[in-house]
Amino acid sequence: MAYNFLSFFVIIVFLTVVFLHVTRKNSMVIALYAIQSAAITLILFGSFFETHAVSLAMIALLTFAVKVVFAPLFFTRLIKKHRLTFSASTYLNVPLSLLAVALLAALAHSRIFAPLVAIMPDHAPMITLAIAVMLIAFLLIINRKGILSQMVGILSLENGIVAFSVLSGLEQSPALQAGIMFNLVIWVTIASIFASMIYRHFGSFETTVMKHLKEE
Amino acid sequence: MIASIASQGGFLLLLSFFAAGALGALAFRKNDALANFWSSAFAVGGSLWGIIFALSIFISGTTLSFHIAAALSPFLSISFAVGALSAFFIFIISLVALFASIYGIGYVKHYYKKYTIGTLGFFYHFFIAGMLMVVTASNAILFLIVWEIMSLASYFLVIYDRNDPKNIKAGSLYFIMTHIGTAFIMLAFLLLYRYTGSFDFGVIKANSAAIPMFAKNMIFIFSFIGFGMKAGIIPLHIWLPDAHPAAPSHVSALMSGVMIKTGIFMMIKLFFDVFTTAPLWWGVAILVIGSVSALLGVLYALTEHDIKRLLAYHSIENIGIILLGIGSALVFSSLGMPALAALGMIAALFHTLNHAVFKSLLFLSAGSVIEGTRTRNIEEYGGLMKRMPETAFFFLIGSMAIAALPPFNGFFSEWLTFQSLFAGIYSFSSLVVWIFILSAGTLALTSGLALACFVKAFGATFLARPRSHEAACAKESGFSLQFGMAGLALLSLVFGLFSGSIVSILNAVVKNISGLRDAASIVAVHPAQTIAVNGFASVSAPALFAIIILALALSVVAIKYLVNRKQNIKTGATWDCGTDLTPRMEITATGFSRSIIMIFQGILKPSFQTDIEYNDASMRYVPKSRTATMHLADFYRVRFYDPIRFGFMKISGYVKKIQSGNINAYILYMLIVLLAALLSASLF
Repeated sequence: MAYNFLSFFVIIVFLTVVFLHVTRKNSMVIALYAIQSAAITLILFGSFFETHAVSLAMIALLTFAVKVVFAPLFFTRLIKKHRLTFSASTYLNVPLSLLAVALLAALAHSRIFAPLVAIMPDHAPMITLAIAVMLIAFLLIINRKGILSQMVGILSLENGIVAFSVLSGLEQSPALQAGIMFNLVIWVTIASIFASMIYRHFGSFETTVMKHLKEE
Repeated sequence: MIASIASQGGFLLLLSFFAAGALGALAFRKNDALANFWSSAFAVGGSLWGIIFALSIFISGTTLSFHIAAALSPFLSISFAVGALSAFFIFIISLVALFASIYGIGYVKHYYKKYTIGTLGFFYHFFIAGMLMVVTASNAILFLIVWEIMSLASYFLVIYDRNDPKNIKAGSLYFIMTHIGTAFIMLAFLLLYRYTGSFDFGVIKANSAAIPMFAKNMIFIFSFIGFGMKAGIIPLHIWLPDAHPAAPSHVSALMSGVMIKTGIFMMIKLFFDVFTTAPLWWGVAILVIGSVSALLGVLYALTEHDIKRLLAYHSIENIGIILLGIGSALVFSSLGMPALAALGMIAALFHTLNHAVFKSLLFLSAGSVIEGTRTRNIEEYGGLMKRMPETAFFFLIGSMAIAALPPFNGFFSEWLTFQSLFAGIYSFSSLVVWIFILSAGTLALTSGLALACFVKAFGATFLARPRSHEAACAKESGFSLQFGMAGLALLSLVFGLFSGSIVSILNAVVKNISGLRDAASIVAVHPAQTIAVNGFASVSAPALFAIIILALALSVVAIKYLVNRKQNIKTGATWDCGTDLTPRMEITATGFSRSIIMIFQGILKPSFQTDIEYNDASMRYVPKSRTATMHLADFYRVRFYDPIRFGFMKISGYVKKIQSGNINAYILYMLIVLLAALLSASLF
């Protein structure tokens, strides 16, 4: 039961990161991230139900507050403030993006990651999926030109790391996890302000415009 | 009493003098006079204590070894070892620091309200403390840390006079070169660690037999480049003629007189103490490089008309002479002749001490001249003997000492170096003998050229008439400057007169070096300071001194008698062909050295540019003035360093292309590197 529960949410995390490559609407990007974060929260809750450690429940609640409520809310405000409905700019078109996603997923299943998968053999398929999430999130950051998508890409990468650590039993102390959450709040705030500043200065949310900062 | 001084407490007290001096100078940085007083007081106190501490180690004959914080990590322990060799270098550092610090009391006053004296004091103390720890550290990691303290402190001292862009440039070059040197030293230490499993010099020494010969050779090459960079051997010297002159003069004295010797110290420690046996080619290589450094150093000095650069080039020459001693010692050691190896080592150590004394004296004297004239250009000096008689006297003593004229100290160490090279000539019959013959010939040539160079330096600076307004208005420097110079001038004579006693002490120091421990002494010191080498040659400083004094006195009396005999003295104006004597009629420094430079034009590649200014530019019949400027191509920069620099620039140009300014691209690089690392980890 617990295994199926975990598998379901890890698959959700994986699918959301794949859909993030497909979607073009910023509101959808935020929604997918919120769903992905909700799945991570539930994985953490699952961990709490297994261990009955109150601190894990606290961390799960904190994760929910930061990732499912605070960060999406912040991004939504940013979208509304600057009327950013679409963020379609990518380096690769959709078919090529999906091909790259498939390659990275295949890479995650290759021998290269065997030592990581071997940490918890019972969760091998799920750990592989978590690694795939990390790699695909990395690709999202690389492929997208819009700063909002890149920020969501970084947060998805972080979700992938959390999923990997829970599945492989490498969870850190609750204090450290709380610290990470606090770090995330600060990061989202600063990154949003930075994004606004870029928009004010360059009139765009695409990071490619920052090329003009380069020394000629 | 001596045991309590030659102890861990004594050493820590020594370091605490400089720590207190550094922190106090920084604390009083807003009050220049107070910062100067504090800094100088602690530097003088610390230096005096350093001399007492080093002498106590000599007298007690103990090797002090202790940990302040044992094993901070698996690699680092703050541990020191002070044997006779370290004590000898502590003595040199403290001795020069003592007189440089006294000199600095008055010298730094011209920086008041221009730069912060507290900052100068802070780095000055760290610099001295860094050198003291370099020669005592017994852990390679600790050594690298204190080596870096010494290098960085000296870098900040080089750029202290930061309003001059040349100083900043010199500092940057020094910074880069010293860190390239450090990289090579690190490679050598990592190889030592690889084969001995420890960074502790004691453990490395105990397990050095386990190091394979190829690794030993690589360690030799890396360490020789690394420490040679600091010592300023040719062709690794390019930072030295720029950096040493850029620093304040009392710091220049320490850098040129002492800091470069830390490289020599480590060479001796590694090649003789850690490795007790060495292949023949190590010694031969050092002999060849020493000869080249000595000869080219003095040739470049001859072409210089910047007084401090001239002295800096002489440091390269003298490092070459020291290397001749070390090289011959290594050759003898590798061929199983420990007694002769000890002779070479004594010569090298004695010249290390002597060079520290007379080069510091010369830098301090040059500083005094610069203080009085506000220029480093020898061509703008002239006639300073009348205006700065004490400085002229001290510079003359320094010049005589560096030119190896008896009875000053330089003569005796060069004499011993010659004996070591002669021993090589009469001991071998193979190809090695030619190396010794060429080395001895080079040393003889170097000595002659050094004499010519200092005839030029002294003559153009102090004799004849002033060639600039500044020189005409120059005034003698203050008491503390004169005291600093006088002390070192006196030591130049004392170390010469008591060269026998010093050789006896150096005999004991050499016995403390593992590779030379069992060497029978072939350098005998007889009463009346007579040094005798294996019955082959002997020299007595007091006898030489007496002969020189007697010869001088007889010459003066004879000339006076011959000139004044039956002559009526008539005072009148000098006949000067009807024209007034002007400074333009004097031979310049460039003019003096031109003939020698032309002899070596194949090596030096000089170029001359002549300019004529006419009274009437349209007619061009009557010249108003003619000037001849001599340029010297910087061979090493043009042929060696510039191609490397251009190569790097070209590669950097290609590499810059990946720096597109696109964040996505940067993240892609990260992903690629991550995947490559994972892939390589899975493959290997």
